[in-house]
Amino acid sequence: MNSLMLISLMILYLGGLFALAYYSERNKHRPFFSKPWIYVLSLGVYCSAWTYYGSVGIAAQSGPSFLTIYLGPVIAMPLWLSVMRKVVQISKQHKISGIADFISMRYGNSRRLGALVTLCCLTAGVPYIALQLKAISESFSLLSGEVSTTSVVGDSTFYIALIIAVFIAFFGTQQTDASEAKVGIMSTVAAESVLKLVFFLVVGCYVCFGLFDGTQDLYNKAAQALPDFAGLSGAEGVGGGLNWLLTIALSFSAFFLLPRQFQVSVVENQKPKHLRTAMWFLPLYLLLFNGFVIFIAWGGRLLLPESQNSDYYSLLLPLSEGQTFLASLVFFGGLSAVISMIVVSTLALSNMLSNNLVIPYGFLDLMKESDPQRNAKRVKNIRRFSMFLLIIGAYFFYTGFSTRLSLYSIGLVSFVLIAQLAPSFFLGLYWNRGSSQAGYYGIIAGLTFVFYSLILPIILGESELGYSFVEQGPLGIAALKPHEFLGLSSLGVETHALFWSLLLNTTFFVYLSLNRKGNYRERNYAELFINSENYSQVGGFVWKGEAYVSDIKDLLVRFLGDSQTDRALDLFYRKYKVSPSEERADARLIAFSEKLLTGSLGAASARILLSSVSKEAPISLVEVLEILEDNKETKATNRLLQAKSRELEQMAEQLQEINHELLDQDKLKDEFLDTVAHELKTPVTSIQAGIELLLDGGMPSDLQEKFMRNIEKDSDRLSRLIHNILDLEKLASGRAELVLESDNLGNTIGKVVQSMKHLADKQGVELKANPEKSSIVAVYDEDRIIQVMTNLISNSLKFIGEEHGKIEIEIEENAKEVLVIVSDNGRGVPAEDQDYIFEKFYQSKNQNTRKPIGSGFGLAICKKILEGHQGNIWLDRSHSPGARFLFSLPKEVQHGKE
Amino acid sequence: MKKRHQQKLIFLSLVMVFLWNMPLLSLAQLPDQLFGFPVFYAYVFLVWAILIMVVFGILKKHHE
Repeated sequence: MNSLMLISLMILYLGGLFALAYYSERNKHRPFFSKPWIYVLSLGVYCSAWTYYGSVGIAAQSGPSFLTIYLGPVIAMPLWLSVMRKVVQISKQHKISGIADFISMRYGNSRRLGALVTLCCLTAGVPYIALQLKAISESFSLLSGEVSTTSVVGDSTFYIALIIAVFIAFFGTQQTDASEAKVGIMSTVAAESVLKLVFFLVVGCYVCFGLFDGTQDLYNKAAQALPDFAGLSGAEGVGGGLNWLLTIALSFSAFFLLPRQFQVSVVENQKPKHLRTAMWFLPLYLLLFNGFVIFIAWGGRLLLPESQNSDYYSLLLPLSEGQTFLASLVFFGGLSAVISMIVVSTLALSNMLSNNLVIPYGFLDLMKESDPQRNAKRVKNIRRFSMFLLIIGAYFFYTGFSTRLSLYSIGLVSFVLIAQLAPSFFLGLYWNRGSSQAGYYGIIAGLTFVFYSLILPIILGESELGYSFVEQGPLGIAALKPHEFLGLSSLGVETHALFWSLLLNTTFFVYLSLNRKGNYRERNYAELFINSENYSQVGGFVWKGEAYVSDIKDLLVRFLGDSQTDRALDLFYRKYKVSPSEERADARLIAFSEKLLTGSLGAASARILLSSVSKEAPISLVEVLEILEDNKETKATNRLLQAKSRELEQMAEQLQEINHELLDQDKLKDEFLDTVAHELKTPVTSIQAGIELLLDGGMPSDLQEKFMRNIEKDSDRLSRLIHNILDLEKLASGRAELVLESDNLGNTIGKVVQSMKHLADKQGVELKANPEKSSIVAVYDEDRIIQVMTNLISNSLKFIGEEHGKIEIEIEENAKEVLVIVSDNGRGVPAEDQDYIFEKFYQSKNQNTRKPIGSGFGLAICKKILEGHQGNIWLDRSHSPGARFLFSLPKEVQHGKE
Repeated sequence: MKKRHQQKLIFLSLVMVFLWNMPLLSLAQLPDQLFGFPVFYAYVFLVWAILIMVVFGILKKHHE
């Protein structure tokens, strides 16, 4: 492809990024931007050009060791819920904007520690960015077929780097507070994470299925043709298990400590729950990225000449087949990997550079005298300047140095440098004795060794001196050979340096921490970090001395402006219930103001500024520890009290529920009594009226007899009602004993039919029990079941029409139960009553038609009886016309419930 | 550190360290293949995929 066209495509691509960033920044309050996807995808910035091109190179040359770079992060991910959540929580509490701020604040806002961490990150970061530029330039010249010129003016990479710098400078400095999330930049990073993965998968599929006949075919051909295939496929490639382990440890720590990873995973985290999504998503992302690497590597080895750079097989393979379009896709995938990495790294490094190096050492005095607008502008300009400086520095590093270094080795050296932060970071999170001085000298010791072992040989290069330095040791002392220190020769170059440097670093750190007490400020912050969950934003800060609110306010106004200061202080007064007229500042106001300034100036500068307007009284370590201990105890008691009161609340709720239930039952009881009284009153009234008429006398004897009969009928009904009521209550309270025996159900039903037959015949209703299966046996109390059947049949008789009436009784049987079905073709149960017919004394809405016919007890009694049998009764609602009742009885005695 | 699912996840990380290192890793060094992946890679990727599912499962179950 012609280079002019490629350049215009690249500019188009960068324009797209600008548009996307602009759009997201404008719409950052939309709900879409609070979803976890941008966050989890932006974590994919871990996959830089090193992954995109370098992995293939390693897989093609030396085998599976490229995997170790991803196994470390994957092992780290399950720890996120405990470790990363803590880091995020602390960072949000203190408005931390980078790894240097984090470490310097943990050790009491130490200015020199922050500066050292920044220098360490810069030494690791600039070559790493240079490596990315190298990848752009090399892939560009492969695709365009032109060798890139060595002059700066003619080199397109230089302009790409400049455009990237403009992009970061514009979107990375929208706010002065560096700890705020940058939605615009992050959405482009997320989009690029998608692009690079998709394009890499596309070329992977192309190699496997386009150039070869699937992965099997590729495996077979590679196994035959490649002489070192055993090593490539893993059988011998992992020879040094210790190298393997150390590289995993290296990538593990880099995943937490790399400035760009800290930026995306901590600073840009908007909600702690997004971490949960990341925990499964990122391993998945990395797995997809690694799946095709070996096939592209083998494909390249099989199809391309030896002389080709194996790093770029994914680009060269489609090119060699004339697939320019596919090759450009690969190129743009690589470009997106590069751009997202450079953008995030530069952003993180420039914040560090300004907050931990330039402002605290250079601009603080100047800023103290200045006004807020100029200060904000100055902070932003320092950052913008740092961004350009970093990118241009990286470009010149690339032109000067990296032509003779591979992607993999620069990447690993960067990782080893960053790993020097591990002891102060990880131990500092959990060990409260770790002190500032120990961290400082530990890192210096580690860095010194890395410089000696890795960087010095690179600087000396392939000169005579460099050669003898590496091969014979300085001044010919073999024990000091940089790659085989004290004769340790079994490790790789980088893992050797990692081992020694971390050993020195950790030893210094632990020894110095144990040997000398840190000052009270360090212990204070150690406590704030280690038990971060115990402290609110300003809770655990211990401070004694003299300071005036007006001085602090003046200071804040200088950096934040009038309106923002007023708003912040207002919030402070309301939150901590402090009177605004209070003249003296307390520890909380100091901590609060420090936090406000940390975001835009860095932790160290904030500390220095505040101590300039306050007179801190010396305070002993013992005193700090006592106050912290008190705080902790109060916290613990509070938590205990809270737990207790929650328990009480729950109990009160339960009691209330029970009370409600009781009231309901009481109401039911009342209603029941009401109905019973009403029911009893009807026959009694009619008996009374009859007797009164009889007593009056003068009534013909036949009429007298009729009255007597009525009275008899009513008293019968009365006694039946009373009997039913007693029965129901007996059943309901469980006082009625059922005599459960295995019996022949057919016979029992026969008996019922027999006794009901004449009643049915009298009404002209056909009563049929078919088929009369005489062999079905169930466990039941015969008298009670006869009662149920009689009840159901007489119910049916009551509601059945005069003509063509028909009642059918059927028996069905399954594994556990026997089912008895009584159906008729009568009026059926009205839909509105169906839910209630089994309730005792249910009062139907059409009382007038119902009352004279049923007592309202029958079905309730049936239900109780069957419950006593461990069976059930219900109405088949789908049956029409007429009603259809079913009840079930167990076939065997159920133990334990009798 | 107190919650049970956090401890499960920490344990999972430890298990991964052992599964992905010598000497267990040397057990997967067979001169054979699975869907075109050498056994070594197939093993690493399979463990990887299982890890994703386990993490997903633990998080789903203990959703706060």
